[in-house]
Amino acid sequence: MSTFWRNHRHWMAPTLFIMPGALLFAVVIILASAQTIWVSFFDWDGVGAKQWVGLANYAQLLDDPQFHVSLKNNLIWLAMFMLAPPLGLALALLLNQPIRGMRVMKSLFFVPLVLASVTVGVVFTWVYDPTFGLLSLIFSSFGATAPALLSDEHFVTFAVVVAALWPQVAFCLVLFLAGLNNLSEDLIGAGRVDGARGWPMLIHVILPQLREVSFIALAVTVIGALRSFDMVAVMTSGGPFGSSTVLAYQMYEQSIFSYRFGYGAAIATVLFVIMAVFIAWYLHTLLKPEREGV
Amino acid sequence: MASNDMIKLVTRAPASRRQFLIGAGTALAGMTLGAPAIAQSKELTIISNIGNASQREVLQRIASAYEKESGVKVAINNMDHEAHKTAIRSYLVVGAPDICFWFSGNRMKAFVQRELFDDISDLFARENYKSVLGPAAGAVTVDGRQYGLPLGGLLWGLFYRKDVFEEKGWTPPKRLEDLLTLGEKAKSAGMIPVSMGTKEMWPAAGWFDHMNLRINGLDKHMALMDGKMSYTDPAMLPVFDKWAELINAGLFSPNGTSFGWEQAAAALAQKKAAMMDLAGFIKYGFPESQQDQIAFAPFPEIIQGMARYEDFALNSIHVPKNAKNKENARDFLAYFYKPDNLAAFLETESAVPPRNDCPPSKDPLVNAAVESLKTVEGSAQYYDRDTDPDMAQEGLKGFQEFMAKPDRRDQILERLETTRKRIFKA
Repeated sequence: MSTFWRNHRHWMAPTLFIMPGALLFAVVIILASAQTIWVSFFDWDGVGAKQWVGLANYAQLLDDPQFHVSLKNNLIWLAMFMLAPPLGLALALLLNQPIRGMRVMKSLFFVPLVLASVTVGVVFTWVYDPTFGLLSLIFSSFGATAPALLSDEHFVTFAVVVAALWPQVAFCLVLFLAGLNNLSEDLIGAGRVDGARGWPMLIHVILPQLREVSFIALAVTVIGALRSFDMVAVMTSGGPFGSSTVLAYQMYEQSIFSYRFGYGAAIATVLFVIMAVFIAWYLHTLLKPEREGV
Repeated sequence: MASNDMIKLVTRAPASRRQFLIGAGTALAGMTLGAPAIAQSKELTIISNIGNASQREVLQRIASAYEKESGVKVAINNMDHEAHKTAIRSYLVVGAPDICFWFSGNRMKAFVQRELFDDISDLFARENYKSVLGPAAGAVTVDGRQYGLPLGGLLWGLFYRKDVFEEKGWTPPKRLEDLLTLGEKAKSAGMIPVSMGTKEMWPAAGWFDHMNLRINGLDKHMALMDGKMSYTDPAMLPVFDKWAELINAGLFSPNGTSFGWEQAAAALAQKKAAMMDLAGFIKYGFPESQQDQIAFAPFPEIIQGMARYEDFALNSIHVPKNAKNKENARDFLAYFYKPDNLAAFLETESAVPPRNDCPPSKDPLVNAAVESLKTVEGSAQYYDRDTDPDMAQEGLKGFQEFMAKPDRRDQILERLETTRKRIFKA
């Protein structure tokens, strides 16, 4: 036994350690994804018999006005979420000053990260409430009436994204603060000797060192934007009349409320493909330096 | 996060059942030690979707009394009302309780067709329910067999505050023109004429039901629900035209899509609105001391001479096909369905008892509904209970949109018609 172990432990130990994670990943992620894609070729109500329909679900998606609205909203989410990394960086630079009481400030900025996103959603729903919300109080102090943001089909998605941005910015802030702590003092000192200050210092000395952190912040933000679901569910349930629905929410609605698992699976597959494109780019960028032996 | 939430939704039922099993297992072990002979299959699980605390209490009380009488251990698992609507689909297939709550009519039929509810015609025959139920039995009957017991009936109509109407000298509208006049009076008194919160969408569909039943009658309404009539049929146009007239007259709450029915009911309770379209459970929106001010009025007449048809929705209780203790379940149902127990259970939600031998209610809202039902010539249940669930989802969304943007009528009807064709393969 012990000789067997000695001869083979160089590969058995890592295998055993990886096994639980790999098994879980295989069952929960890979198997589930494969099954979802498989289901998307069927007409299925989730309980009864499945009926093969080929690509009919996808053909129907193209004609579904709701799908176009969801896709457009996902793009709005993606575009607006791109504000999170720069805002997080700006805040991190601001909070990274060695001033007394800055720690308290930092922890205050972390707060949205501590709150469950459902809580954030509910709080913002109250803020936006046209009768008693904070927004309407601000508007009425100027003598104006606040727009009912969550009832307006044009504003509603933006209003939801703003709420979702709050914790997302805080998250980027944390990443950048950690990155700023790891800056090389030598490089900054050398820069200072060469006369770099202000912008040139930030752009040529600091930012290059934050490249990896920025990359992670960007990746997390993109994924956060694409998988948006909870805020939509809590704040608007996709409404009014579906105008704030995103792909993830439409998938949920179709599968659970309309008993159309096949159609919901088709939406999930489209979302999966969009994410896969991004993840491929992410892995490519991540693995490149590794492969080059850096 | 998305997938997490969904997993939570789907697994909630099995999880609570597992907890029950652990509990029941312990109890069973205890019983086995004491009296091995009766230990087997003397247990019963119920999944309840009751949100109202006092009604939950009544159910618990009935269950405890039954426990004492029969020696069967009853465990009630309470679930959130909305979450239950999704969880039932998984627990009926895997991990079914012995008894569960649901909605009669088309929503029950969806599970009957998939063979997930047990045929309890034997219980019906044994207890001779048909003789005491009357028309309510039809709501739980599919092809001549019964698949559940009807619970409380909710009669939908307009509600208002007696004190407000008395003070202003208003009377509940008899005809649609009266509703418009009353609307003008309410607006000049600084009130919203009809409180309506459509965030959860269904309240708008209730209004559609009223309008369609008043204008086109029950047969055409049911044809539409069954997918046999087109949404672009010319008969639909007057319904939406009249409705648009009400919307454009500013009859409904502004920004109605931002809040749900609770907030809308609160507006009525706080005298900010004159009327609201709902059923007896509107009293949950009122403080207990003011509940005696609530009064009921049927939806106004639109076409003279049209017989009175109303939405009368019946909840129901069922034995899942995959239940483990079907005999105990029947036994419990028979106990639960005794007139006194049933009446006590329904009293808390101001629902109309389906049995005609229940003791008379002390609740004025129930009595008003019972009185009003005497002149009703036929009833539907409610849009999302009468039509296919998939159709209902699109329909609710369409009606919500129509209330916000009445000028999009044609687009909305066109979309609903496409959905109808897809679902009913018409």
